[in-house]
Amino acid sequence: MANNLNKTQVDKLGDRLRKGDITEAELRLLDDYRRSFSEAYEFVVRAIRDELGLEPTGRPAKSTTSIIEKLLRESIRLSQIQDIAGCRLVVSGIEEQNGTVTLLQKLFQRVTVVDRRKNPSHGYRAVHLIVRHEGKLVEIQVRTSLQHLWAELCEKKADVFDPLIKYGGGDSVTTALNLRFAAAIEDAELKEWQMSLADKVLSGLSARRGTLSKSKQAELDAFLKEQRTWRKKLDSYKKTIRDTLQELIAELENPDRG
Amino acid sequence: MLFLIEYNREKGEIVNIRKFDESKKTDAESARLDLELDLRRKGTKHEVVILDAIDEARIRRTHRRYFESLEELAKAS
Repeated sequence: MANNLNKTQVDKLGDRLRKGDITEAELRLLDDYRRSFSEAYEFVVRAIRDELGLEPTGRPAKSTTSIIEKLLRESIRLSQIQDIAGCRLVVSGIEEQNGTVTLLQKLFQRVTVVDRRKNPSHGYRAVHLIVRHEGKLVEIQVRTSLQHLWAELCEKKADVFDPLIKYGGGDSVTTALNLRFAAAIEDAELKEWQMSLADKVLSGLSARRGTLSKSKQAELDAFLKEQRTWRKKLDSYKKTIRDTLQELIAELENPDRG
Repeated sequence: MLFLIEYNREKGEIVNIRKFDESKKTDAESARLDLELDLRRKGTKHEVVILDAIDEARIRRTHRRYFESLEELAKAS
């Protein structure tokens, strides 16, 4: 069983997969290797369900196609791939995303956080947590609904037009549209998050306005006015998202598209 | 619930989907291997993946790309 394969043997299998024309024996070995992540996967998903009451969607094992693509795309060994097993949580916005990440960090002892909001990958933003359980890694993706929408659209375009789109390749129009869409989403999400934080503080202060000095009341009024300006900005960011989606639809419906 | 999906990437369409009860995980994994071996023999390059969720509605939300066309994804957003 490949469960007993050592790291060198796993990486040799990866080298053969990278060369293509995969044999039946190699497919069986890869399948055994993937199955060796089952216990770690179940540990992670069960903990998220039982301890946090969240409902992740799991992918107990990365597909052969995706593994081979990753080996070909990156100078990575099979044993180094961190997302052989994984699951995904889609949450409403940045605030819930941050809260979920904090809960997951507390839930698992050996966890590494990869914040792709700080370092987006060709426009892809999300937070990934890599949990280590008995020597096996399991990736948890935490995406907001807008980050998820971006990723789904990008992956689908990669499926039907060009796999390189997912990694910043493909034609320049698509690449530019993807990045513009990602930037609009980032702007809207950050502004919404900042506003929600400010709302909490301002509503608390407004509730005890009568106890504030005149100068503090004037400061509060100035903040409330600024908040209204922010709200208008947020509306404009959301409009940019809608406009970009319309552009995408128009591009898809263009009969001259190759 | 486990969902064994055969997906044609180029067409962006699901070819087949089979459902397995959570307790039948080994059966689902064996079916995945059998399907991959069969596709290999036929020279068909389809993606084969197992997804795990409490129901199909959740899979359709978190893995929309398998179920919706690009136009549907963009328009439903």
